[in-house]
Parts: sequence; C-alpha cells; structure tokens
Amino acid sequence: MTTATFDMPVGAQKSFGTAGVAVALLLPIALVNAIGFILPVLNLARMSFNEALPGGGIAEALTAANWTGLLHDSFYIELITNSIVVSLGITLATLLVSYPIALYLHRASGAWRTFLTVLVISPLLTSAVVRTYGWIALLAEQGPVANVIASMGFQPPRMMFNTTGVVIGLTEILMPYMILSLMAGFGRLDPKVEEAARTLGATPFRTFWRVILPLTLPGIALGCLLCFVLAISSFITPKLMGGGRVFLLATEIYDQAIVTLNWPLAATLSMLVLIIFGAALAVYSRILRMIEG
Amino acid sequence: MMHQTIKRDGVETIGDPYLCLEGMNKKYGLVEVISNLNLAVRKGELIALLGPSGCGKTTTLRMIAGLIAPTAGRITVGGRDVTQIAPHGRDMGLVFQSYALFPHMTVAKNVAFGLEMRGLSRADIANKVAKALGMVQLEHLAERKPRELSGGQQQRVALARALVIEPSILLLDEPLSNLDAKLRDEMRTQIRDIQQQLGITTVFVTHDQVEALSMCDRIVVMKGGLIEQVGTPHEIYERPATPFVASFVGRTNRVKGKRTADGCIRIGSSMIRSARPAVQDDVMVMVRPHRIHIDWNAASTEQQGETANRMAAVLSRITFVGDVIQYHFDVGGSEFIVEESTKKSQVSRDQGDKAVLSWSVEDTLVFGADQ
Ligand SMILES: Nc1ncnc2c1ncn2[C@@H]1O[C@H](COP(=O)(O)OP(=O)(O)O)[C@@H](O)[C@H]1O
Ligand SMILES: [Mg+2]
Repeated sequence: MTTATFDMPVGAQKSFGTAGVAVALLLPIALVNAIGFILPVLNLARMSFNEALPGGGIAEALTAANWTGLLHDSFYIELITNSIVVSLGITLATLLVSYPIALYLHRASGAWRTFLTVLVISPLLTSAVVRTYGWIALLAEQGPVANVIASMGFQPPRMMFNTTGVVIGLTEILMPYMILSLMAGFGRLDPKVEEAARTLGATPFRTFWRVILPLTLPGIALGCLLCFVLAISSFITPKLMGGGRVFLLATEIYDQAIVTLNWPLAATLSMLVLIIFGAALAVYSRILRMIEG
Repeated sequence: MMHQTIKRDGVETIGDPYLCLEGMNKKYGLVEVISNLNLAVRKGELIALLGPSGCGKTTTLRMIAGLIAPTAGRITVGGRDVTQIAPHGRDMGLVFQSYALFPHMTVAKNVAFGLEMRGLSRADIANKVAKALGMVQLEHLAERKPRELSGGQQQRVALARALVIEPSILLLDEPLSNLDAKLRDEMRTQIRDIQQQLGITTVFVTHDQVEALSMCDRIVVMKGGLIEQVGTPHEIYERPATPFVASFVGRTNRVKGKRTADGCIRIGSSMIRSARPAVQDDVMVMVRPHRIHIDWNAASTEQQGETANRMAAVLSRITFVGDVIQYHFDVGGSEFIVEESTKKSQVSRDQGDKAVLSWSVEDTLVFGADQ
C-alpha cells in the first residue's frame, strides 16, 4: 500500500536509466571524497617536494631532499621500523585476545549474541581519549595493576610512558575493530563442518588447526589489516601513554607539523604512512588470494 | 509402542543387535524432544528413521554420533557402552544433510582427512582415497574444491569421506533431500548397493516414505519424539500399528465408523468387517486407495462371501495423474479416493455416476477413533 506511492512511474524509469541513477547517487560522495581527501593528499604529495626554511617557512621547490634526508637519517629509519614493529605487535596482541571472543560470538545465538555484540561495540561509543586516560589511571606507578602485581610479591614493571603502555592501551582500543572484522570474515565457518571433522576422528585441537583456523583466515587477514592501519596511524594513545618518550610515525608527524613547523618533512612522513598503507593492502590481497585459491 | 517384539515378514534376519539405544531421552530446557527411545539396530542392516520434520530424527542421529549428549539413556555398539565417548572416539561415519564438506580442501583431501586423523601412512591414504572415490565414481574430480562440484557430486564426496574410514556404523541424515528427483533415484540404488557390498550397519534418516520403503531393511516410524512402530517395509505398509503410521506411510482413505454388537463396523448405512477386531466403539477405518475395486455395473451391495467389504458410492471428482487415475467418491458423506492404473482406452466417467466399491477384509485397517 504505502510502497506503491514510492514506486517510480513507468515514464520516469524509462527516461532515467539505472546507470543515471547510480551516477546521481554516487556523485555527492565522490565530490566529498575529491574535496576532502584526494585534493589534500595531492597537496601533501606536492608539499613533500618543497623546501623547508628555518623558522617554519616553506620555499616552493621541486627537491627530493626531504625524502633522501629521511632515508639517510638513522633516527627516522629507526622511527619507521619501530612504528612498523610496534604496530605489528599491537596487531598480533589484538588478534590473540580478540580471536576467542569472536569465535564465541560467532557461535552464540539469539538475544545472548545481540547482548554480547553490543557489549563488544560499546567501547566505540566512548572517545579514545577517555579510554586512554582510563588506562593511564590503571597502569600508573601506584595504580591498581601495579598494586596487584606488587601484592603478589613481584616488582611491578614500568607500564606507563613507554612502549608497553602504548601496546596495552592500543590493543584494548582496537579490540572492537578486530572482533567485528573477524566475525565478518567467519562466514565460511559452519559448525557442521567442525562436527564433520570431529566424527572423522579429529580431536578438538586438531579440528582447530585443520578446519577452524584455515576457515577463519579471511577474517584474520581482514582484522589484521584494519588494526595494523589503525595502529600505525594512531596518535592520541601513543601521545598520551608514551609520555613523549615513545616515537612513532603519527606522533612525529604531529611534532614536525605543529611544534617544529617543518611542514615539508611532516608531509613527507605522511606520504610515507600512505605508502605503508598501500603495502599493507597489497600484502592483504596477496594473502587473501592465497587463502581462497 | 511395539519396539520390543518384531516379527519378521518372511525377510531373513540380517544379524544380531549391534547398535542399541536404551531409554534415550533428550530435553532442551523443559521441552522433551526424544522420550524413552529404545531401539536395537542389527549388524549389517540398513534401518530408516522415518517421520515428519521436527519429530527428532536428527537429534537421535546426533546422539548416536556423540555430537549431542542425551539427557538420559545408554548407547552401546557391539556391547561396548559409548555414551560417554567423544565423537572422535566413536568410529562412526556421518553424512550431513548439508554435506558439510571442508570448503578449503580438495575432494581428495576431504576424503583423506579421516585417514590422516588415524595416522595412516601416505601410501595407504592415497590408496584408500582412490578406492573410495572409485566407489562413488569421482576419481576424475579428486583435485576439485567442493564449491566446484554439483550437489550430487558433493553428496558422493560426503559419502566417500564417511565410508573411507571404514566406520563401525554409517549415519546418513537425509542425504538425498537436496538432490533433484532423478538423481535421488540413482543415489538411492547406489547407496543401497554400497551398503550391502560393505555390509555396513547403517542408520538412514529420512522424511520420505518412498526412500524408507524402497531402500531399507527395517523402518522406525517416529512422531513427536516417540517411536510409533518398528518393522520391515512390508509390515509397516500392510500392518501399520497406528493411524499415524497408516497415513504417513503410503496414502490411505479414512472414514469414521461405529462398532456394532456382532463385531462389524457400521459406516453410514453400510456394514463392513475387518481382519482385526475393533477395540473401541468409535473407530477410524482406513483403506488404501489402490486396494479398492470399483464395480460400475453392480446392482446391489449385497455381501458376496466373507472376504470382501462392499459400499455404494457416488462419483464426485476425477483426477488424472498420468500413470494413475484417481476417482473421488462420496461414501455416505465421507470422501473415498480410489486409484486405478490408466489404460489407453479409458471409459470416461461422469460426476454423479453410481458404483459399488469393494475391498478385501484383509485390507481394512481399523483403529480406535482417539488413537
Ligand atoms: N538446539 C535445540 N534447541 C532447542 N530445540 C531443538 C534444538 N534442536 C532441535 N530442537 C527441537 O527438537 C525437535 C526435533 O528436532 P530434529 O531432531 O532436528 O527433527 P527432525 O530431524 O526429525 O526434523 C524439533 O522440534 C526442534 O525444534
Ligand atoms: Mg532433521
């Protein structure tokens, strides 16, 4: 009844083909993307070939000095490798803690599943700043975590204002993304297939290795890609929990752009992050083709 | 109902009880899905669990396989209690309704899986896989992935995968229900042939009575978590224990009647007799459509001898179904369907034509009306 009023008149459908509709619907977002993303990126790319003058000045130029300088400065080489290694570590930690949760959620059903899913997503409703401060309170030198460790008779390690803190904080913050990606990629995991493995003589452990794990690889790949990208570009948590002592790409870009006012170098580092994204994406599609192949 | 004493109808016994279910019970929350199920499956026989959807066939099969734990009861295989044994220790081959092939493995790898779990040598595995695939005529597709196969081919891979481990018991959950009619007929024969060739004790779940009747040594008819009857296809068809069995297996006419003092049954104004005496005053009489003879020229319904029931009827509708023709008669207010094989030179009949229906007393099934 009500739907009938929304049906397109016959004449309108004819004069306004499906291709036309598609273009019309895609145009706004294409424009937003062009203005809000592609143009700034092109601008950044151009900026990375400009020359930085002392005191924050920029000289229009076409020099590769920023790029070559980056690759010859051991500080930056270390910064880049450190960023990649820490992000990979965070991705791995997130995967390990999220995988059992996602598997459990995948198997749950009904209202229980809905409830748990909401629970998993709910951290996304609070800002990362708030959650980071939460972790700072928990991991501080005389904080609850340190107290618990001390009460067990161990010397509490430093967990704040170093890489450990950043890894802990980011792992927790990225968990919802990982869990949702894993669940999205668990489509091929049919409980019947696990049961088939069991009846064929596979122990639960071997069922996991031979059936569950291979079938969840697409989800793992997707989750890892997303979390790696989010980890390497994260800024708030490393800034707050690193206490200025942890140097990662995003924090360095911020420092160069805002503190040192070296915009060409900040642009170069930003482009480098984009290149790392591209590489991660390439690795991901490679892996996906290998899994599905 | 009558699951303890099973008289055989001229079919030789295949073997001793091998798979025994004793007092099986399964509850989901407060809902009892299987109630006190007792069943002895003989060694080497193909037994069907037959019943409408939701009657607990799959639940029973999954309890046998160990995939779900019974709320109460005991399962033994060859005298060994397996109730507490995990599925991977039970040595049973299960073919799922959805086949449940490993999507990431080739056909050969799927079939090899169970053998690898048993730690066989590579050479042995290759050997057995080739043999199993040969048995289901799929050697040429060994390197394909399941998604590149048709439904019938996937079904055969699932069968090969379950059989290659030479399980003590083969469990089939509606294995043919996802196939088209022609393929289903082929697979019926193929499964039966393989089963007899290997002499493997098999439990076959189906809701299709034709499948159960044509393939199986014995049939267990289930309804609402209870066993209605266990028997050979012949017994189930000819001597159904309950009205449910009579109408679920094969088609049947049903009409209400009253027991009279002399042991006859009155339907409207007609009197009929049955082989087994009625146990209640209000009865349900059932007669199979193709066991009824139509006499278009009979003058009266006078009983001729002691072996036949006769009733006057008026033709109300005709349905032509190709190989059979169905006459719908009005018999004292109830509808009776009579089936005859079609002939090329069919005498055409009209609505309102009068006839006398007759059928043998033997073919008259009588049940209590509230049964
Ligand atoms: N996990 C479950 N939880 C609750 N009820 C179930 C569950 N599995 C099956 N049932 C119920 O048990 C009954 C029997 O199911 P099933 O054995 O699958 O029937 P069939 O295979 O004969 O169609 C059905 O009424 C079904 O709704
Ligand atoms: Mg079922």
